[in-house]
Amino acid sequence: MSLAQRVLLTWIFTLVFLIMLVLKLDGKIHWNWFLIFLPVWTFDTILLLMIIVKMVGRCKPGFDPHNATQDLKKRIWYLVAMLLKLAFCLTLCARLENLTDIYLSFVFVPLWALMIGAMVELGYNVFHFRRD
Amino acid sequence: MLFSLRELVQWLGFATFELFMHLGALLVFSVLVALRVDVLVAVSWWLVFVPLFAADGLSTYFTTIVSIRLYQEGDRRLAVLRLLWVLTVLSLKLVCEVLLCQKLEGQDQARELWFGLIVSPIFILLQLLMIRACRVN
Repeated sequence: MSLAQRVLLTWIFTLVFLIMLVLKLDGKIHWNWFLIFLPVWTFDTILLLMIIVKMVGRCKPGFDPHNATQDLKKRIWYLVAMLLKLAFCLTLCARLENLTDIYLSFVFVPLWALMIGAMVELGYNVFHFRRD
Repeated sequence: MLFSLRELVQWLGFATFELFMHLGALLVFSVLVALRVDVLVAVSWWLVFVPLFAADGLSTYFTTIVSIRLYQEGDRRLAVLRLLWVLTVLSLKLVCEVLLCQKLEGQDQARELWFGLIVSPIFILLQLLMIRACRVN
């Protein structure tokens, strides 16, 4: 996909989610929280499918194994990150719907793991380049 | 994941270090939100939002320095454009944060503040980001 297509995809899903969130918070609609998060589920499914398809592409005959280990590690981290985000959204929805009565701190645990991972990756990029 | 870091830096117009800083602030903010809801119910929401305000302030400072350096090196157009863009994004973010904080704090004038109004800076920001995306190849 080109950059414009990817940006458009992200933009549309963010916009729809924000509109639904605002309507729900203002009490204009009384839908289930899981339904409000529908754009998030759809977007995450698309991303997960893209990552899995790229990982499966390794099994194709004629795959160039050059730099493959590094690439696989990155893909696995992306997969874990997506699953962590999904776990956070699911527990958040369950908590908002009063399906469970757990502490908000436990809901945030997957998000914190995801953010610390992202910060490590970003920090590596910042300080690695600086060393060069 | 969907975007590489280079594309993200080009699209958002923020340096990698600034993204790192904002992410860190968001992490501290989420910890404080969890603490505020679970344990410290009496703490003001303004205190909870301090990491986000701090990140905005630091980002403004950083951008000013970078723009001055760019200006001195003769890249004037880039310096002014960068300064304008980052200040627009940061001010929209700040307005949204302040309004949200007022709403959560439940002050008198915030009673009729509806969420559509609070999120409206984010809607403007989304349109601006879409326009900017067209300029990134």
